[in-house]
Amino acid sequence: MTSGTMAIEVQGLTKVYHPPSSPPVTALDGLDLRVRRGEIFGLLGKNGAGKTTLLRILTTLMPPSAGRVTILGHDVIDDSLRVRQNICVVLQENAVELYLSVLDNLITYARFHALARRDIIPRAERVMEQFELTEHRAQKVIDLSGGLKRRVQVAKVFMVEKPIVFLDEATTGMDPINKRATLTAIREQARAGRTIFLTTHILEEAEELCDTIAIIDRGKCLAMGSLPAIKSLIPNAFEISITFDMLPESLAAEFRALPLLKLEQKHATIEARIRAIDLPLLETISRLARGATVRHFEVRSATLEDVFVGLLGSGARASDTREPGAP
Amino acid sequence: MTMILAVMYREYRIRKTSLTWLFYDLFMPLTYLLLFGIGLDRAFAQGIPIPGGTISYNAFFLSGVLAMACFGIAINTSYGFFVDRDNGIFYEFLTYPMTRAQFLIGKIVFNCLMSLAQATLTVVLGVLLLGIPFLWSQTVFVLLGVALGTAGWFFFLATFALRIRRNDMFNTFINVAYFVLMFASSLFYPLDQLPSWLRIVSWINPMTWHTDALRYATIGVGDVRIVVLEATAFALFLLLSFGAALQTIRRAILR
Repeated sequence: MTSGTMAIEVQGLTKVYHPPSSPPVTALDGLDLRVRRGEIFGLLGKNGAGKTTLLRILTTLMPPSAGRVTILGHDVIDDSLRVRQNICVVLQENAVELYLSVLDNLITYARFHALARRDIIPRAERVMEQFELTEHRAQKVIDLSGGLKRRVQVAKVFMVEKPIVFLDEATTGMDPINKRATLTAIREQARAGRTIFLTTHILEEAEELCDTIAIIDRGKCLAMGSLPAIKSLIPNAFEISITFDMLPESLAAEFRALPLLKLEQKHATIEARIRAIDLPLLETISRLARGATVRHFEVRSATLEDVFVGLLGSGARASDTREPGAP
Repeated sequence: MTMILAVMYREYRIRKTSLTWLFYDLFMPLTYLLLFGIGLDRAFAQGIPIPGGTISYNAFFLSGVLAMACFGIAINTSYGFFVDRDNGIFYEFLTYPMTRAQFLIGKIVFNCLMSLAQATLTVVLGVLLLGIPFLWSQTVFVLLGVALGTAGWFFFLATFALRIRRNDMFNTFINVAYFVLMFASSLFYPLDQLPSWLRIVSWINPMTWHTDALRYATIGVGDVRIVVLEATAFALFLLLSFGAALQTIRRAILR
């Protein structure tokens, strides 16, 4: 894979903070990442894993201590202006003009990104409609609720069409409907060829959106690859959920006696996890389930959350799980 | 240029949302001149001695008011960094497609225009209401002095506003700076009558350089050789402050 197909390349990136009267803190420790053009890339990690530090370096807000980062081939230190000309960013912190109206926030943002003046108002109308902000257009942002403020902040990046969009916890504080609208908008942007780099704590969101996922911890990349590749990192497991009309104690005891990876009982529902290769056990569960009236029976593979907890809970070693031929 | 205009546009939109702020920026120096100036004009009824005669306190104080107004606008503009940081928008700005210099210049060009509007109102109404003998032939130098003065003070204060993280610390710094720069200078009174130690402090104070240059430009009072020297020193102060502010915004935003 040549660098021409790469939107973001991170090589040996290290960032060490030197807080006054405290020992140095290594936020990023020789991190390597590559993000292809046009993909939705999700960066996951616990609090303090180094996600925000990485995002700040990628968006030219902070210099690295060592290593090299390029955005569309432009070095974030030597060519930071060219980098900024190719990106737009939603930071984790609220970033809105509190004393300006919603419309003025969008207009101001568009002017900073040199959108042609004749295109600004029509575009702002579309974006306000998309994010259900039209009725608030003339309101000062300071008078809006926290969720609406966040919506204005996120809406701004859809005023312009930059090749790379950085979203740091973009849907935080949004209600489910607007979260859905935001995810749809992100997907549309990716389909239009823009590269989306997002960090999130909401793993379902990453699972739903991302083409490639990287999990970092203590400044190192623990795993990176497509969702199936990431999921293959933990032993293949099936999550089984059975809801009975009524669960007799004797039947519950039989479930408890099985060699399951996990078992939880909530009222008349049994949640179990088994190894995917353990088909006889699956057959036993199925047979046991026939011992009472079943309302719902579901078998699904491991979620990203399972992988996340598995990797970060066990302190797994760094590994790159990209498929052969992938960057 | 597009980016500088965008920064100016943003400053304009924000200023437009607050009439109180606009009033403060435009009329405060005039109000100062009318209240404080008239009061001291009565107290110094015999006038302020200058080589070859005396001038009214109002005439003497006009340049002081203009210098103080430049400093006031610079305080407001640099304080804007705190407001932007509190709103979270400051770091987003730094990801916009502009250089750090464009960001600073856009901010100061708009605020210099505000200073010029303010100075024009102050001078015109000062002449009409108080009969100040303003030298209209030197208007260009007055406007230049106001614009460069605002820029110099803004870059000087911006360096501190960008380095100091705490709002209350910055307020304390501003109070101390205001006190020292205003009162250890030729802004309110001539330096000749001051004790020698205070005169020395005043001579090395950029507020004195700025005020003296404006005083020469507004009413023609001062030794031209000294005024040229002071104007040059202030220009150097402006350049150094710009360099310091630029370095700070480039390097010390996030460590």
